[in-house]
Amino acid sequence: MSSIQINNVTKRFGDFTAVEDMCLDIEEGEFVALLGPSGCGKTTTMNMIAGLEDVTEGSILFDGQDLSGTKIQDRNIGFVFQNYAIFTHLSVYKNLSYGLEVKKVDKAEIDRRVKAMADRMSISHRLDQPASSLSVNEMQKLAIGRSAIVEPRIFLLDEPLSNLDAGFRAYMRAELKVLQHEFGQTMIYVTHDQIEAMSLADKIAIIDQGKLMQYGSPLEIYNNPANRFVANFVGSPRMNLIDGELREERGTLRLMVHGGAEIPLSGQVRSEFSSDTKVHSGSFGIRPQDIYFGARRAEDDIEMHGTVEVLERVGPKRLVYLQVLETMFLAIDDQDQLNVGDEVPFYMPPAKSLAFDLASGRRLGG
Amino acid sequence: MTDIPTPASQTTQSEKRKGYWATVARDGQKMGFWFILPTMLLLLFIVVFPLLMQLYLSVTWWTPLEGIPWYRAWEVFSWGENYWFLLTDPRLWGALWRTVVIMGIAVPIQFFLGMALAYLFVDKFPGRKIFYSIMLTPMMVVPAVVGLMFFLLFQGTGPVNDHLGLPADFSWLTDVNRAMISVIIADIWQWTPLMFLILLAGMLGVPSDQLLAARLLGGSNWQNFLKIVLPRMKTVIIIALVLRAVECFKIFDLIFIMTKGGPGVQTETISLFLYKQTFGELEWAYVAAIGLTILFVLSVIAAKGLSYMAKKNG
Repeated sequence: MSSIQINNVTKRFGDFTAVEDMCLDIEEGEFVALLGPSGCGKTTTMNMIAGLEDVTEGSILFDGQDLSGTKIQDRNIGFVFQNYAIFTHLSVYKNLSYGLEVKKVDKAEIDRRVKAMADRMSISHRLDQPASSLSVNEMQKLAIGRSAIVEPRIFLLDEPLSNLDAGFRAYMRAELKVLQHEFGQTMIYVTHDQIEAMSLADKIAIIDQGKLMQYGSPLEIYNNPANRFVANFVGSPRMNLIDGELREERGTLRLMVHGGAEIPLSGQVRSEFSSDTKVHSGSFGIRPQDIYFGARRAEDDIEMHGTVEVLERVGPKRLVYLQVLETMFLAIDDQDQLNVGDEVPFYMPPAKSLAFDLASGRRLGG
Repeated sequence: MTDIPTPASQTTQSEKRKGYWATVARDGQKMGFWFILPTMLLLLFIVVFPLLMQLYLSVTWWTPLEGIPWYRAWEVFSWGENYWFLLTDPRLWGALWRTVVIMGIAVPIQFFLGMALAYLFVDKFPGRKIFYSIMLTPMMVVPAVVGLMFFLLFQGTGPVNDHLGLPADFSWLTDVNRAMISVIIADIWQWTPLMFLILLAGMLGVPSDQLLAARLLGGSNWQNFLKIVLPRMKTVIIIALVLRAVECFKIFDLIFIMTKGGPGVQTETISLFLYKQTFGELEWAYVAAIGLTILFVLSVIAAKGLSYMAKKNG
C-alpha cells in the first residue's frame, strides 16, 4: 500500500505532448478513476505510474519515494491489462503462481496462496485447466487474481471492464469495489465510461488532451464542474450547454444564441456571468433534470417557451427534446403530461444553472 | 430486355443450374483423371522408373566401365553384396559421422547466435533496419561463393592469418582438425541469419503485453524469457532446427569448394562421399544401394516423427 504523488508530470513523444503538467495526489487506499475520452492521455498517465513509460518532466513519488530509477520488476505494481494479458500457454494455476514463483517463494506457501486466491476469485474448479480455455469473465478474474496475489503496493487497472458483456460488467463493477475494500489497496482505474468512474471511484481525475480538467469526488465533479469540458463529459443524459453572446438589454443580461433564441439571465447565474466583464460570449449549462414544467416555483426562475420535438422513454421518465427556434434543450418529464408538438413554457432555476466562459471553457463565478 | 423473370422462373433456372453443376461434378471425376494423367505419367517416369532401376542396379556389380548396358546388369548379379559392404565401409561411416559432427556443432551454434541476435532485434533501436538488412546478406549469397570466400580467407597468406598474426605456414584448410573448424565457421556465417530470421519472427509473435505483465509480476528478463518467450516459440524453434539440420545434412558446395573433402577425407561429408563414389570411382551400383538405404532410413524416421507429432497434437 502506498500513496502516490504526481508532480507536474509532462510526457512528450517527439513533438506531441501526451500529458501536460499533470498534478495528482492520491492517498493511501484510495480508489481513483482516470476518466477521459479516447486519446486524452489517461493510459499514458497510468503507464508512467507503472513505469512502462518514462516521465519527460516532473516526478512521480510513491510514499515520497521516486521509483524512476527502479526496474519495472522491482516496483511491485499490480497491473490489469485491458485484454488481461493472460499467459495462455500456461494453466490457470501457473498463471496465478507466476508472480510468486519468480520471487522464489516456498512451494507450500505458493500452493496455499494460489488456492486461497482461486477460492476468492471463484475459479478453483478451473485451476488445472489451460488458461486459454477460460471464458472472458473468468480471464478477468484470473487477471485480477494474478496481480493481487503478489500483494502489490498499488493496483492499476486499464479499462478492465470494457471487454465484458453487460450483465457481467455490472457484477464485476460491484465485485471490484468489494475487492478494493478487501485488499485495502490504492487503486487507479482508467476508463472512458463515466458511469463506471462515478459508481466505483472515491475520486475522479478528468483528463482531456493531456491536461487535468478536474480532480475530485464524483459528487463534486457532478455538481460543481470546473469547466465546460467536465460539465459536458459527466452526467447522463448530458447537460444542456447553450453557447451565445452576452448582451445587456432593457436592464436584463441576455444570452443571444445563434439562430435567435435568447436566454434572459437572472439571479445567481446572471451575477456569475457578469463576474468577469471581459467575457463577451458564454455558455449556459443546466442538467436536464433541473428543467421543470408547470407552475413557476421561484420568482427568479428563467422562463422559456419551446416546442416538444421528440419524446424518448427512459424507464419511468421521458426525455423531452424542446426546440426553441434553432436551439435544442433536453429536459426530463416525469409527469407524462407532454405530447409531441406541444408548445410549452419551461423553467430553469438560476441556482442550478452554470456559467462558463465560451473562449476558455472556464467556469465563471461559482 | 422486356422479359422480367418471375420468382417461379427463377426457381426453375436455379434448379436447372444445380443439375448442370451436378453433371459437371460427376463428369469432372472422369475428366479430372484425364487431366492428371500426363502428370502421373511424367511422375512415373521420373520417380518410379528410376527407383526401380536403382533397386535393380543395387543388387549387381554393374558400373559404366563394365562394357555392358545397364539393363543387362543381371549378368553381374551380386545378391546383397553392396548392402553388406556399405554396413562395413569405414569411409561411408566416417563421412556419416563427420556430417553428424558438422551438424551437431554448427546447428546449435547457429541456434544460440540466432536466438541472441533475435533477442537484440526484438526491441527497436536506431539503425535497426540497416543492421537487419546487413544481418541477412550472408544468407542470400550463393553457397559456392561463400565457399570461395572462405577458401580465400583461410589461405596461409590470407586475411585470417594476417589479422591473427599467424605465420603463412599455419594452414587451415589442409590441417586435419582446422579444416573441419574452417568449414563449420563458414556454415555458421552463412546460415545464422536464417536462424535469426525465423527466430525473430517467432519472438515477435510473443504478445508484448504478456511479457509486460510478466515483468510487472516481478519476473526477471531471464525468467520471463524461459517461462513466457521460449514456450511460446516452441513450434518455431522446432521448425528452425529441423530446417537447418536437414539442410546441414546435405552440405556440399561449401566443402566442395573449400577443401574438396580434404585433407584426405577429413572433411568428407555424406554428400561429398556420394559424389566422389559416383563421378570419381564410378561405383554406381554401390551408390544405388547407399541411396536406397538412406531413403529407407529417412522414411522410417519421418514416419516415426509424424506419428509422434500426431499423437502429441491429438
